[in-house]
Amino acid sequence: MDEREIRLQRSRRRLFLKAAIGTGIGLSLVSAFYVGASLRPKAEVTPEKEPLKPGDILVYAQGGGEPKPIRPEELKPGDPFVLAYPMDPKTKVVKSGEAKNTVLVVRYNPEELAPEVAQNGVEGIVAYSAVCTHLGCIVSQWVADKKAALCPCHGGIYDLARGARVIAGPPPRPVPQLPLKVEGGVLVAAGEFLGEVGVKAEAAFYRHV
Amino acid sequence: MYKWLDERLDLTGLYQKVLRKAFPVHHSFFLGEITLFAFIVLVLTGIFLTLNFEPSIREVKLPDGRTVPAAYASVLYIDSLPFGAVIRSLHHWSANVMIAAAFLHMLRILLSGAYKKPRELNYLVGLALLGLAVVTAFTGYALPYDNYAVTATRIGYGIANSIPWVGTTLAQVMFGGEFPGSEKSIPRLYSLHVLWLPLLLMALIGAHMAIMMKQKHTQPRYAERVAPGRILGVPMYPQQLVMMGILFALYVGIMTMIAGAFLAHPIEAFGPPTPNTPAVKPEWYFLWIYGILQIIPSSWEFRLFGDTIGPEFIGGVLIPGILGLVGLLLPFVDTRKDKMRYMELPSEHPVRTSVILALLVFFLMTTLAGYKIDFQQQGSILGNNAVLWTLVLGGPLLTYIVSYTLLRIFYGKKEEEALQ
Repeated sequence: MDEREIRLQRSRRRLFLKAAIGTGIGLSLVSAFYVGASLRPKAEVTPEKEPLKPGDILVYAQGGGEPKPIRPEELKPGDPFVLAYPMDPKTKVVKSGEAKNTVLVVRYNPEELAPEVAQNGVEGIVAYSAVCTHLGCIVSQWVADKKAALCPCHGGIYDLARGARVIAGPPPRPVPQLPLKVEGGVLVAAGEFLGEVGVKAEAAFYRHV
Repeated sequence: MYKWLDERLDLTGLYQKVLRKAFPVHHSFFLGEITLFAFIVLVLTGIFLTLNFEPSIREVKLPDGRTVPAAYASVLYIDSLPFGAVIRSLHHWSANVMIAAAFLHMLRILLSGAYKKPRELNYLVGLALLGLAVVTAFTGYALPYDNYAVTATRIGYGIANSIPWVGTTLAQVMFGGEFPGSEKSIPRLYSLHVLWLPLLLMALIGAHMAIMMKQKHTQPRYAERVAPGRILGVPMYPQQLVMMGILFALYVGIMTMIAGAFLAHPIEAFGPPTPNTPAVKPEWYFLWIYGILQIIPSSWEFRLFGDTIGPEFIGGVLIPGILGLVGLLLPFVDTRKDKMRYMELPSEHPVRTSVILALLVFFLMTTLAGYKIDFQQQGSILGNNAVLWTLVLGGPLLTYIVSYTLLRIFYGKKEEEALQ
């Protein structure tokens, strides 16, 4: 055998080796992508994670024990707001498994409220989503002198009497209002939230699912 | 015995090659070692914590009748064990020390110009280590699942989510679904915190030290005077190892005393998560980002290629990202060939030293901005956004000018004399 032949043979071996390695790496990459798809969790909806629906009864989020529906007469104008979860009227499941269901309920003197806000409330009681539109914390503190709600994470303040207008801090938009009615002496959601709940990017994700 | 092993494993070769490595002695050279010791203590205490920690948020009943998430209950259980709370505190404080020591170690490298050729690679590995250490600390933060930690982690989730185009997927993968709420979050954060990130850290620490062995330490200034062109230092074995042993013992002793005296993150006091959000502050190493988020107005928002670029992304990702990128590029910009083997005196490089000081003041001022809400509640002038912006931008600028001028006046002459 002369040198040329040897080189030729060798190059063919090289080629085979390279092809083998390339196929191996390619296949592993493809399967890695396949496995990678399972890194993203599946969205599983259990009864307590169902979104809020019109007709849900509002119950106190804090206090523990049996779910306690909110009665209008328990709220006084000027008092801090209370946090609430929706409860399915039929199954009596409190939908506390989904943070976006958290609602804040507050009572004003009816003349303090802006007309379009009062229209969706009942007897001066108004409700809003409690999920801050900034980074999704729960708006949980009451600013007594401004009669407004404060998100303690980055200091966003919402004027609840004026449609939750942002009067301080970084939130990009108001928290959406929840229309209310009274049925059987307790507060009930009269409709869906009047806008997107929570941070916008998350809402976009849940639309795709 | 030694002979038997030596014939088979060539111990003498190992001794001559590795254990005789010269370690220069300089007090600032111990910062990297302290980082390493903190990491070792973190791994050991972390393994102990995994014995009893339950990475789940399913509801369990405590002996006193309360229903709480299992993770929270298991950390309460760890705290109730003999020395359990001390071990947990030791883990917590060591994480703080590791990040602080790694940061100071980086400052030393920057101030003495030790990132220059041929050490660019190891400098990059070091930056990656600092970043990974911070990410690892963050993934561990939510694990006790108390109200405070959950709220703080929720903000991190929001920031990850605000990254345009890929943020939603990234946040979903990192947090295993929406945080808080998803049952998959804690198992996923736990896996990242105890497996993926520590393994990655270990691999990079190994590379960091292997490269350092290969390239040898930068030499302190005195080495240039005493023995120019030669490598000065004590051998790894026995001198350096004895020093390291003493330092490690000191580290463990002092940190255990601190952990015994100051309980870290009192989860009993914070309570399990409720809708009642506490006023949270992040750990000190995140306060500067938190401060930037406080002073960026919500109007900094625009749409680009079908997604929203918001203030959370600008403050929480973009600004830290740009700083990191500048850090990564530094050794490729500063390509001077002088003093490749020796540490440089900060006073002889007024521009670089002043920039680093200005950067430190920037961190301090943005951290100060992190207390904006508190200042506002006290009615202090520091609650004003314009004042804070002036401090954040003006502070570093003023620092640079003052530092540069002072260095020029006091050290500039010396340099000129040396040149003549």
